[in-house]
Amino acid sequence: MSNDVVLEVKNLKTHFISSKGIAKAVDGVDFVLRKGETLGIVGESGCGKSMTSLSILRLIPSPPGKIVDGEVLLNGKNLVTMPNAELRKIRGNRISMIFQEPMTSLNPVIPVGEQIAEALRLHQGLSKKAAWAKSVEMIGLVGIPSPEKRAKQEPFQLSGGMRQRVMIAMALACTPEVLIADEPTTALDVTIQAQILEIMKDLQRKIGMGIIFITHDLGVVAEMCDQVAVMYAGQIVEHQNTAELFKNPLHPYTQGLIGSLPKLYEDQDELQIIEGTVPSPYDYPEGCRFAERCPFARSICSEKQPDLIQYDEESKVRCWKYTNEWQVSLTKELVTT
Amino acid sequence: MIFFILKRLMQIVPVILGVTLVVFLIMQMVPGDSAVILAGEGASKETVEELREDLGLNKPLHEQYFSYIGNIFQGDLGHSLKNNQPVLEEIMIRLPITMELAFFSILITVVLGLIAGIISAVKPYSFSDIGVMLVALLGISLPSFWLGLLLMYIFSIKLQWLPVAGWDSMAHIVLPAITLGAGGAAIVARMTRSSMLEVVGQDYIRTARAKGLKEHVIIYKHALRNALIPVITVVGLQFGGLLGGTVLVESVFAINGLGRMIVDSIRTRDIPMVQGGVLVASLVFVFVNLLVDTLYRVFNKRIDLN
Repeated sequence: MSNDVVLEVKNLKTHFISSKGIAKAVDGVDFVLRKGETLGIVGESGCGKSMTSLSILRLIPSPPGKIVDGEVLLNGKNLVTMPNAELRKIRGNRISMIFQEPMTSLNPVIPVGEQIAEALRLHQGLSKKAAWAKSVEMIGLVGIPSPEKRAKQEPFQLSGGMRQRVMIAMALACTPEVLIADEPTTALDVTIQAQILEIMKDLQRKIGMGIIFITHDLGVVAEMCDQVAVMYAGQIVEHQNTAELFKNPLHPYTQGLIGSLPKLYEDQDELQIIEGTVPSPYDYPEGCRFAERCPFARSICSEKQPDLIQYDEESKVRCWKYTNEWQVSLTKELVTT
Repeated sequence: MIFFILKRLMQIVPVILGVTLVVFLIMQMVPGDSAVILAGEGASKETVEELREDLGLNKPLHEQYFSYIGNIFQGDLGHSLKNNQPVLEEIMIRLPITMELAFFSILITVVLGLIAGIISAVKPYSFSDIGVMLVALLGISLPSFWLGLLLMYIFSIKLQWLPVAGWDSMAHIVLPAITLGAGGAAIVARMTRSSMLEVVGQDYIRTARAKGLKEHVIIYKHALRNALIPVITVVGLQFGGLLGGTVLVESVFAINGLGRMIVDSIRTRDIPMVQGGVLVASLVFVFVNLLVDTLYRVFNKRIDLN
């Protein structure tokens, strides 16, 4: 099983250093991605999921951003310490990215076909003509009609859905081992969203790449992902396979997220919410970062930070509830009262 | 595109009417009488009157203006009051000199400005950025006639590398072109810097990086083309100022160009020469603007010229 691991992230920490202090946007993230697998990273805005994805290819704006600790291993090679020239050979070739905003992620003054072809010339050493032909082929592959004509057009002549397809075509042109999709469907309407997801799944079957799928949409997670990592305040708080996560969420935050989904077959007057707000990345509490909002919190939760522990063979959770200390603290509280 | 160019060429007619009218009226309002100046000091009243009659200066103003306009559309810009030479002939001798000066100045403006702007933008707030921007600030602040004299003092008199004045060889072009182009280069540098900094923060630059492109490809292929759009506007506007600047620079460096011709003609109230010179300068400006607007379209196809 472990032979299939293509990407491994170990204790990744990305901090933003400014006059306001140090924002710990990514604060000790671990996960593995296997060949052909889709790992979802979910969480609300500002939880560090986009920063995690950008850190993998060292694309965070620096300064003020800085990867201060951790490793990102692509087939065992650490990308964090790799020289820039070597990293460039991996970007867009072995690891590709699709961004959230199709409207602004393509260069407005370069024909889309050329934007795909330049990566092919760079990484695969194709001639101008061959790269263009492959680029047109890719545009057709992602389901854009009359690709020869579209390839010569500039982004403003394409709809949002088409632009995101172009982004996918660009990301997959060099058949990467890992695709990082950062909310690829958030800016699109629902029907286009479904088509885009279908294209991604289809191409994954053909190419066999691993996908890191970043989203805040649990519906999309259920549709796309094999594994899910739930992020909260710069850390992974739960990691399970998708079916298990929806059936049996472990972390109180995940329980809150799933509980707050509207239910189709039940009468609901009000949607469930998670009380409180996310703590500031400049000033995280000493103990569990979710403790303030957690309905189960006990004294130990605000004293010490829990580790991400193995719950069973496939699941991990960062919560005191699942530790021996929890029992000890429970007994202590009972004794004192 | 062709329709757009034709439409713009049609606009030349009202430009000619406007420019000639303004220059004509201003020259009438300026104190000093052409006939008196031409006749020379101590000339008798009769001689002056005779001269006025000969030159048609005693006709009503509107008559003078309309006959002038009529002649322009027949390609006749009149004759110099001073030496009776055809104005057009004189302009055709002077114009190439001024155009050459303008060309090299704008070249310095664009090339120097772009390079400086890019150097600044690539590493913002670094020593090179601060240094370049300080020089640019100087470039904007220094008046061109003073810069011209300063350059002349250093490079022609002290170091004796370049000729002091005149217009014979490429060596003669260097100092006037720098003098005239420096201010524009400074403005273009600042514009390029701010425009580049804005573009470099865009999502598509991150996409280009994620593709594995080298930094210089990102800067020159992906960023610069987008950043150039506002810079082209500035260069176009600079050209207008440049034509005005030739008047000063040609005087400082004793170059017999169009600018100097206009200045000399104003001094002698040689109205046909002034009008002809200003008219031709305006036409050049109109053509340059047309060129700039067409370039826009080349750089950014989103702009619909019609």
